[in-house]
Amino acid sequence: MGEGYVGQLMQILLNAATVASFTVLVAVGFSLILDMTRSFHFAHAATYTCAAYVTFAGTSWLGMPLTLAAPIGVAFCVSLGCLIERLIYRPMRRRGASSLTLLIASLGTYLVVQNVISLIWGDDTRLLRSAAMDEGIEILRGQLTRTSSLAIALGAALPVAVGVLLRSTSLGCAMRAVAADTELARIRGVPTECVILEAFAIASALAGVGGILFALDVNMRPTMGMSALMTAIVAVIIGGVGSIAGVMLGSFLLALAQQIVTWTLGAQWQDPVVFATLLAFLLLRPQGIFGKPLRKRSI
Amino acid sequence: MAYLLHILIITAIYVILAVSLDLLAGHAGLLSVAQAAFYGLGAYTSALLTVKMGATFLVGIITGMLLATVLSLLVSLPSLRLSDDYFVIASFAFQMIVFSILNNWGALTGGPTGIPGIPAPGVFGGHVLTHAGFLMLAATCAVLSYLVVWRLGTGPYGRVLHAMREDEVLAKALGKGTVRFKVTIFAASTALSALAGSLYAHYVTYIDPTSFTVMESILVISMVIIGGAGSLWGPPLGAAVLVSLPELLRSAGLPSAAAANLRQIIYGGMLVFMMMFRPRGLVGCYSFGR
Repeated sequence: MGEGYVGQLMQILLNAATVASFTVLVAVGFSLILDMTRSFHFAHAATYTCAAYVTFAGTSWLGMPLTLAAPIGVAFCVSLGCLIERLIYRPMRRRGASSLTLLIASLGTYLVVQNVISLIWGDDTRLLRSAAMDEGIEILRGQLTRTSSLAIALGAALPVAVGVLLRSTSLGCAMRAVAADTELARIRGVPTECVILEAFAIASALAGVGGILFALDVNMRPTMGMSALMTAIVAVIIGGVGSIAGVMLGSFLLALAQQIVTWTLGAQWQDPVVFATLLAFLLLRPQGIFGKPLRKRSI
Repeated sequence: MAYLLHILIITAIYVILAVSLDLLAGHAGLLSVAQAAFYGLGAYTSALLTVKMGATFLVGIITGMLLATVLSLLVSLPSLRLSDDYFVIASFAFQMIVFSILNNWGALTGGPTGIPGIPAPGVFGGHVLTHAGFLMLAATCAVLSYLVVWRLGTGPYGRVLHAMREDEVLAKALGKGTVRFKVTIFAASTALSALAGSLYAHYVTYIDPTSFTVMESILVISMVIIGGAGSLWGPPLGAAVLVSLPELLRSAGLPSAAAANLRQIIYGGMLVFMMMFRPRGLVGCYSFGR
């Protein structure tokens, strides 16, 4: 009897960890970009989706092995993320666009990319899974597929790597300087535009890895990016913008809450619980658990 | 002819939605992604009252508008604390919650299958209106909504809204408390959206949650932005352009699945283009910036 409970509890924790790693891979990059450019990069959702579909094209159209197709997918979405920054956001920032216009433009960009994906691959659900990746292993009476264990490993390792990069490399130092005060960083000789572009590359790479893992573990639809991004935004706001530890904790707490809701109320009530949590945080503690106080409106 | 009347009726409904959003986004600078939630609220309230309780069309419309006014507090109160893009996210959360309730509370809303058999509006002793009659009704509502927005947007009330939009701190410093203005502007705007929802429900006589997703909100936002926020003619112009665009695509002979995607690509592309080169829209006067 007791062992059954241990197994169930372990399974909930493992499921939550898997779901959290998909979220955290999107959330870390989104948070980094929000912190540095002060704008919501909604098109991040499109890069996530794009990586999965390009990988799918590689494996099923061209017959590549997954180990070759996945890096191509990630490379493709890194170039997409950088192109969006270079061609849309940067010219807009130069002209002094407000955060609201940047948000609307990124929403428009998302719409374009998502619908191009729909045009090419159709709106149906597709599978990227392979039998080898679905094989199970057992940890403390909980079941885990290979994909899930890979997701948990990468979901923990990549954000930590970004944290180390931010803390102890000169690029990371420049990124933190841009996040703290872009104007001052520019005056002190930091090539701000270049640093921001590199942040987009890192963020898109992480999102791409997340998208491919999600497609391997569950399935893929052209709209998968937006639902992932919405969860990621909630995780970022729970954890606090600009804090890697906060985003990781936020993603895990959110995934745990989703698992508990699924077990008690049913999966269909996940969304209301997630978004009610978001509203509660926005109203009561908008800076999140670990975040800096939100920027004040400029007068 | 029936086809043309149909397009005109849909345009009238979207004109109401677009001017109601313009009141918030254009005049008060509060970009809300929850307009489809209030549109759905109006549609469902009206549909449930007429189908399950046998109420008349007019009772359904008025109850829907009142309910939207009350529930608008759930969005207007967050707007007091959150600015710009954080408010967009909060309204997004509200939109997702409402959609989820419409989709999952099967006992009340019928879940994904929706509510069929909504009676077409009958006035003066139960005559069911024809297409032409419905167009008269929808157009009257659109003109009335337009007049409401014109009155609110240009008078002394509108000047305070514009001041709040440009510089909230300054408006407060001049003694214009923003609480009253934000709560009332949300109440007015959401009531108009609910009106559009009721009209839609009684026009198509069948509703399901897919008509009230966040994509619908984004469509209305596109109408306001492309037409021009904060102006009198911009939002109706945007509504007319974006309603007739898919019809043009259809008459160009595209397969319907591809046409739906192409339509969204065009909306998205127009949004990006407008934000990059002309944030004021075609004829607007507010460019979403400080």
